[in-house]
Amino acid sequence: MTHRAAIVGAGHTRFGVLEEGPRALLRSAVEAAFASVDRSAEPRDVREAFLATLGFGGHQIGNSAAALAEEAGLVGVPVTRVENACASGGFALRSAIGALAAGASPLVLVVGLEKMTDVSNARRRYWLGVSGDTEWERAAGLTFAGVYGLIASRYFAEHGDASDALVEVATKNHENGALNPNAHFQKAVSREQVRSAPRVARPLGLYDCCPVSDGAAALLLAPPDLAHRYTDTPVYVDATGAGTDFLAVQERRELTRFGATHRAAHEAFRSAGWHRSDVSFLEVHDCFTIAELLALEDLGFAAPGEAPRLTLSGATRRTGRLPVNPDGGLKAKGHPIGATGVSQVYEVFLQLRGAAGARQVPHAEHALTHNVGGAGATAAVSLFSVG
Amino acid sequence: MTLVRRVARIAAYRPRGLVGGAPNASLDEDTFTLAATAAERAWSGQREEPEPVDVHLVGEFPAVAEWGFSALLGRATDVVRHAGGALELATTLRALEDGPGGAALLIAAELPGSAPKRSARSAPRPAGAVAFRFEAADEPGRFELPKMAASHSAVATAFKIGQGAQELPAWVHLVGDWGPSTAADRPPQERPPPEPVDVSSGAVSEGAYVPRPRYLENLPSRWRFLAEVCEACHGTTFPARGICRRCGRKEALTQVRLPFDGGRVVAVTTVGKGGQPTEFDAQVEAQGPYDVALVELARGMRVTLQVTDAPAGTLDVGDRVNTLLRRLYPMEGEWRYGRKAVPATPRTVPDVPA
Repeated sequence: MTHRAAIVGAGHTRFGVLEEGPRALLRSAVEAAFASVDRSAEPRDVREAFLATLGFGGHQIGNSAAALAEEAGLVGVPVTRVENACASGGFALRSAIGALAAGASPLVLVVGLEKMTDVSNARRRYWLGVSGDTEWERAAGLTFAGVYGLIASRYFAEHGDASDALVEVATKNHENGALNPNAHFQKAVSREQVRSAPRVARPLGLYDCCPVSDGAAALLLAPPDLAHRYTDTPVYVDATGAGTDFLAVQERRELTRFGATHRAAHEAFRSAGWHRSDVSFLEVHDCFTIAELLALEDLGFAAPGEAPRLTLSGATRRTGRLPVNPDGGLKAKGHPIGATGVSQVYEVFLQLRGAAGARQVPHAEHALTHNVGGAGATAAVSLFSVG
Repeated sequence: MTLVRRVARIAAYRPRGLVGGAPNASLDEDTFTLAATAAERAWSGQREEPEPVDVHLVGEFPAVAEWGFSALLGRATDVVRHAGGALELATTLRALEDGPGGAALLIAAELPGSAPKRSARSAPRPAGAVAFRFEAADEPGRFELPKMAASHSAVATAFKIGQGAQELPAWVHLVGDWGPSTAADRPPQERPPPEPVDVSSGAVSEGAYVPRPRYLENLPSRWRFLAEVCEACHGTTFPARGICRRCGRKEALTQVRLPFDGGRVVAVTTVGKGGQPTEFDAQVEAQGPYDVALVELARGMRVTLQVTDAPAGTLDVGDRVNTLLRRLYPMEGEWRYGRKAVPATPRTVPDVPA
């Protein structure tokens, strides 16, 4: 999609095991987004809204868009729920840009939400698997940890043991998360802790997996020509791309390459007319450490099999030449499913405006977000700039 | 001349699982899966004419046995149940030998430990299944049966037949797990008390929800690895879905069965405690972590299978596996069944003659 949009406000709740229920989280994120607008914006400016959520646990699984309208003070305004599993946020952003292009003006609201920690353990583990292929993968005893475990085993078979790089992804993202006051985990972890953690799905251990978190994030978007009504420093969405793949990994020709990400990245870069070298930093979907390696390759920042080397070189650290996940990524910041894709854009909003505080990436001018649903069945990629 | 039938092949299956470190039936086995494996071995090599087949069962079997053999063999079957015991086996065998022609399977299966404990004095009862395949023949043929009493186990007696208690006529072929007595012949080790899985409580599903009609619809691909070859573009589609994945044609799709044995492991993981979907909780509680492998059955045709009969962590990428029908998980009042992978070490390769 080439239609540009301007982000004029962004809000974020804490991520983690929270007291607040889903409605309180929606309210907090939306209020924070309005409060972040430099000049005032009012709910009455919002002509359309999108809610990204899986509906984890089954609570208000239907028609949850109406709950957002209530909590955002938007009753009456059209709201649509967008559900593409963990990629719901990235696809909701794309829908919002489509709405702007269709004339919803001056503001469109995007909110991502998931409340995951208030359901029973059994129910949680049921819901953690609902976005994978049910009839074959799930019946064989896999949840996503297991599917990514298969993918990691294949990656090792094709490119050699990449355990050290997986450890580096985990420690790096925890280090970044320690600087993010909204992160679920705000503590660095040692390489030894990561290595010795119990295995969840060989070769992946506990520290290779993102946590189960509550949280919400919200964005206010305006057409570029109206952005300055709200702020002098809007962040622009220059292009978005998206793609799909077979739901079940067994149907795909390759395990170590996500076709949906490839397609999404190709569309986004072609639409924006950017080169990979234009990008200052990346927000990628590291639901499992192996996913960050795949992302670097699928997005075109490393050749197949080269992501471990790039990662171990330190290039992807916050101070490296291509910082990846300065907010801690899903790994440390947490992964409230529907909120994740929106949260990535929140980080971009802060970083490109130089407002990321202790975790500020130096010279951040161009950013990429990469949001994946399931084990690569859906993917959305967006490119952002300032000025 | 009236067409008659006689036994053409006798196939044996002995559980080779590991429970509590000793060879034993795995907890995902029941008399239906034992019988299914023996039946597949007896059936393999059969000419693929679409004729119905009678299935006679000796022993105690779960309700799935009523319709399961039709799905397993890919043809309509009539199932006749007989009580367990050696005499019932002998009587049924003779009745089939003497009856009018047509294909038939006679299967005896037993899984000690899954039934109430018998008196300590009774003879050890092996876990396993033996399937006798009857084929139409020009001449009638009978073979000698070992001496037996009403208290004898049908399966133990059937094993004796195959292990040479009596000389077999030349027209009878043996396949499967015959050979010298193994640990599996001894009385089963104390199985850890199988978690009482209440399959009847299915009001609210906490598992992967596959409605029964979808489960049944997929059985040809799940149980028989049925794929479709497109006559127009020669693409193969698995699981079969009535449309060519390569060119989208819905006409002229030929059904083929992908091989059950010799698949190659493309990727494998060990699912540790807490990493399993809830419907596998009872299994993990009883048996610990399990492996799941992505297996290439034929060029480009892959299936995700749980690994059984082997300790977790046994398999690596590139290893070969065979597949067997096993219990998957309970859902809405019944067990769901599907194929699982077992490492294709020499001891688990069925010696099916060419």
